[in-house]
Amino acid sequence: MKVSTLNLVNYRNYAELFLEFAPGINIFLGMNAQGKTNIIEAVYYAALGRSHRTNTESELIYWKKTAGSIRMDFTRFDVANSLEFQFKLEKRRRILYNGSNIRTKELVGAMNVVLFSPEDLFLIKGSPVGRRRFLDIEISQASPAYYHELVKYTHIVTQRNTLLKRIREHKAKSSMLEIWDTQLAESAAHIVKKRLEAVKKFNMLANLMQRRISANMENLSIYYYIHGAEDNNMTDDVVPWYNKKLRESAEIDILRGSTGIGPHRDDLILEVNGINLRSFGSQGQQRTGVLALKLAELEFLRSETGEYPVLLLDDVMSELDRSRREQLLFFIQRENIQTLITATDESYFPAEHIGRYYHVDGGKVTMG
Amino acid sequence: MQYIAPLAKLIENFRALPGIGSKTAVRLAYHILDMDADKAKGLAQAIIEAKEKIGYCNTCFNLSDTNPCHICAAEARDHSTICVVEQPQDVDAVERMRDYRGVYHVLHGSLSPLEGVGPEDIRIKELLTRLYDADVSEVIMATNPNVEGEATAMYIAKLLKPLGIKVTRIAHGLPVGGDLEYADEVTLAKAMENRREI
Repeated sequence: MKVSTLNLVNYRNYAELFLEFAPGINIFLGMNAQGKTNIIEAVYYAALGRSHRTNTESELIYWKKTAGSIRMDFTRFDVANSLEFQFKLEKRRRILYNGSNIRTKELVGAMNVVLFSPEDLFLIKGSPVGRRRFLDIEISQASPAYYHELVKYTHIVTQRNTLLKRIREHKAKSSMLEIWDTQLAESAAHIVKKRLEAVKKFNMLANLMQRRISANMENLSIYYYIHGAEDNNMTDDVVPWYNKKLRESAEIDILRGSTGIGPHRDDLILEVNGINLRSFGSQGQQRTGVLALKLAELEFLRSETGEYPVLLLDDVMSELDRSRREQLLFFIQRENIQTLITATDESYFPAEHIGRYYHVDGGKVTMG
Repeated sequence: MQYIAPLAKLIENFRALPGIGSKTAVRLAYHILDMDADKAKGLAQAIIEAKEKIGYCNTCFNLSDTNPCHICAAEARDHSTICVVEQPQDVDAVERMRDYRGVYHVLHGSLSPLEGVGPEDIRIKELLTRLYDADVSEVIMATNPNVEGEATAMYIAKLLKPLGIKVTRIAHGLPVGGDLEYADEVTLAKAMENRREI
C-alpha cells in the first residue's frame, strides 16, 4: 500500500496543505511544534478513523474554524483509492470511501498503517493492559470473530463479577456461579487458543527483526503468560482446566468481588537473550524491542493482506543509536516499504540521498 | 410554551411511553383532539379493556384474557412437552411457526446479576411446581441465544436433572434459505459446532 497524496483543510495547524509522497522514504524535518506530527496523525486518521493523540474530534479542526477535512489518495495493489473525512463542530463526521458515504466499521481493512511513536515504549514498560490490547487489535484485524468473542467474554466477566459482589453481600447464593463459570471457561479457552496462535507467529517475526536490527547480537522471545498456569499445571484440554481453576478461586473471588483468573489477567512476556525486557532491559534494549515488535506487526499484516502497510515513524530516530537507525533504514529500503518519518535533525540520516525531504515550518511545508 | 391543562396532561402521558419523544407526544395529542368523539372514546375504551381483561395465565404465565389461556386449555395440544421462553412475544414467534404442538412456560426475564435478576425474580419456581403436578416428558429451553439466555437455560437444566425429565436446548445456526457465503463467521462457527450426521 502507498499513500499518493494528502490534502488537509483547516486541520490542526494547517489552513490548507497539499502533499505528494514519494513511494519510498519521506522525511519531514523541522523544529518542535511546527506541525510534523500533525501530518503523521492525519495519515493515521485517514487510514484507521481515529487519532493516536486524541479522542476529541473538535481538537482536529483549525483554531476558531467550524469545519475541516482530510483527504488521502492511496493505492492498494496498485489500484487508486481515496478516503475522505469531513469534520464539522458539533456534527457527526462524514467518511467518504472512493466518494461514497461509509460507516466507521466499513473502514476496517481499507487501508493499513503501522505507527511507531515514542509513546509505544509503554508497550514494554507499561502495565499488561496495553500489551493485551496490542495483541487483541492485531488478532481482531485478521479475525472479526475473535473480536466478537472478546466482547462476549468481557460481558460474561462483568456478569460474574456482579454476582460475586452480590454473593459477598448475601444477596445471592454461591451455587449460582456455576452457570457463569461454564460459559466463561468456554469463552476463555477460545480466546487463549487464538492468542497463543498469534503469539507464536509474532514471536518468530519479532525475533527475526530483533536480530536484523541488532546485527545478530540479540534474540527476542515473546511468550504468552497464562495467569494461574505458573506451575505448568495447564492441561491440553483448556475448558476443564479453567472450570477447575474458577472453582478453586471462587472463595477468594467472592471476597475480592472480581474474577482472578482468565485471559483478562494474562500478559505478554518479552525477553532479550533470556532476560526479561520489562524488568531488566536497558533503555536501548527496550527501544529495540518495541521497534522489533512494530516491524513484526508490519510483517504480520503483510502475511494477512499480501501487501506491506505504510510505516509511520514519529520522532523515533533520536531514540535509536546509529547502527540501529542504519539497520532500520536499510530494511525499509530493501523491502521497499513506503515510510513517513519525522525528525528534528538531518544528521539522523545518511549523507547519501535516501528519500524525499520536506521542511516543516509553522504550518507550511516545502519540498527539498 | 404552556399548554392548556388537559392537553398538557395528555402530552405527558404519551411522553411516558417507550419510544415516544416530546415532538411525537405533541403530535399524537393534537391528533386525538382532531378525532371524532366516538373514535376517541373507542381508543380509551380499548385501553381500559385491554388492561382489565388481559392478565397472566396461571399455568404458563403467558398474557391471556382467559384463565387458563387458550393454549393451556386446548386438549389437542401435547401437554407433556413444555417450551420455556423469556417473553410473551417469544410465544407468538414460536406459534407463527405453526409446527409446535406442545405448551409453553413464560419466565418473564432471564438471569442477570447486572440487572439484579436472580432465580426468584423470574417464574422458575412456578415451572418446577408445574413439573411436579403434571406428567411432563420434555422441557425445551428456548431462551435467547445470548449470555443471559444461555445461563438461564443452564440453570434450569441443572434443576431439572434430578427429576429425570428430558431437557433440550434449541439449536443455533444458519438461517434457512440463506447463502453460506453471506453468513457471518460467528454464526457459521456455531453451525459448524452443532453439525449432525446425515
